[in-house]
Amino acid sequence: MPQKPQPGKDNFTRNLVVAVVVGVLLIMLVPTLLSKQSDSSAASPATASSTNGYGITFNGELTGVPVIDIYEDFQCPVCAQFEALNGQYIETLIAAKKATVVFHTLSFLGPESVSAANAAACAADQDKYLPYKDALYATQPSENSGAWTSAALIEIGSLVGITNQKFANCINETEFAGWVTNVAAAGSKANVNSTPTVFVNGKEINRQTDYFNADNFKAVVEQG
Amino acid sequence: MKKYMPWIGLASRLVLGGVLLVAGWLKVPALDKSQMAVRAYEILPISFANIVGQILPFFEVAVGILLILGAATRINAILGGGLMVIFIIGISQAWARGLSIDCGCFGGGGQVEPGTASYLPEILRDLGLAALGFYLYRFPHSKFSLDKN
Repeated sequence: MPQKPQPGKDNFTRNLVVAVVVGVLLIMLVPTLLSKQSDSSAASPATASSTNGYGITFNGELTGVPVIDIYEDFQCPVCAQFEALNGQYIETLIAAKKATVVFHTLSFLGPESVSAANAAACAADQDKYLPYKDALYATQPSENSGAWTSAALIEIGSLVGITNQKFANCINETEFAGWVTNVAAAGSKANVNSTPTVFVNGKEINRQTDYFNADNFKAVVEQG
Repeated sequence: MKKYMPWIGLASRLVLGGVLLVAGWLKVPALDKSQMAVRAYEILPISFANIVGQILPFFEVAVGILLILGAATRINAILGGGLMVIFIIGISQAWARGLSIDCGCFGGGGQVEPGTASYLPEILRDLGLAALGFYLYRFPHSKFSLDKN
């Protein structure tokens, strides 16, 4: 039953509070939604393009070979295990031109994943993506511990023979920040819900059997 | 009994509102993960799940703050309680279909190793929270509330 407003008994304060809380959160939400949109004009490393989900691509020109899409986050410990087990085999496939391999560097674990993904893209433009990736996993700190600073990421580059100033600038200026967002947005669209996630010819391999058994992994790839 | 009910209302507001506020707040800095958590339930179409994953954390924070302050208690109680019912449905269907996912209730989310998902405690917790929401909907009058009616 509607009551007559009484002095000091109206809901002005309450309505004001509701309006402020809802307003502030909307103001926070809108730029967040916009920042998640992919921006095709953002600078990308040379081997990445929107057609392969912005992933860093090896042997993209080959036809008739299996296409392996690998979604990983450099901070994810399980990804490090996956790479330790299967990374060598994947790099052999790349070197022997027996597969097209697309690396999607996701960044959902936090700011240092973004830094690492950017740095890996910088290394890709120096033709050192694979060794740089291996070095990142070999030195993987615990999540967002502050270890992967720009200086540390440049230092990791020097471990694999990248010493030029362009690489350092690329890391210091987070040159591929927009691209990292694009990779993440493309991963969302591809329904990647876990890292590592591996697709062979567009189909996810079996999570129960294929990820952490090197023989099964090889078999799945060879069957295409 | 009647004279204790506003205190029960206050406690319900603080518990349900506090849980929503914390749950939302933990997700706001990691919206990629929040999107992943929603997708992993495999209910919504991917593009819609991604939108829900972005909006939900902010919605939880807003409802949580308003419940703690006791502003528009009745509306926020039904929103918060209703959200818990939706979570219960989502978790139950994941369980029934044999998905292995982290509920993503307080951040995190996505697929987990088969056999490590723990659905029952999550459902029981959300049932309790939903009950608080419906109690507040039925008896919105509570202590230290901004509502003046």
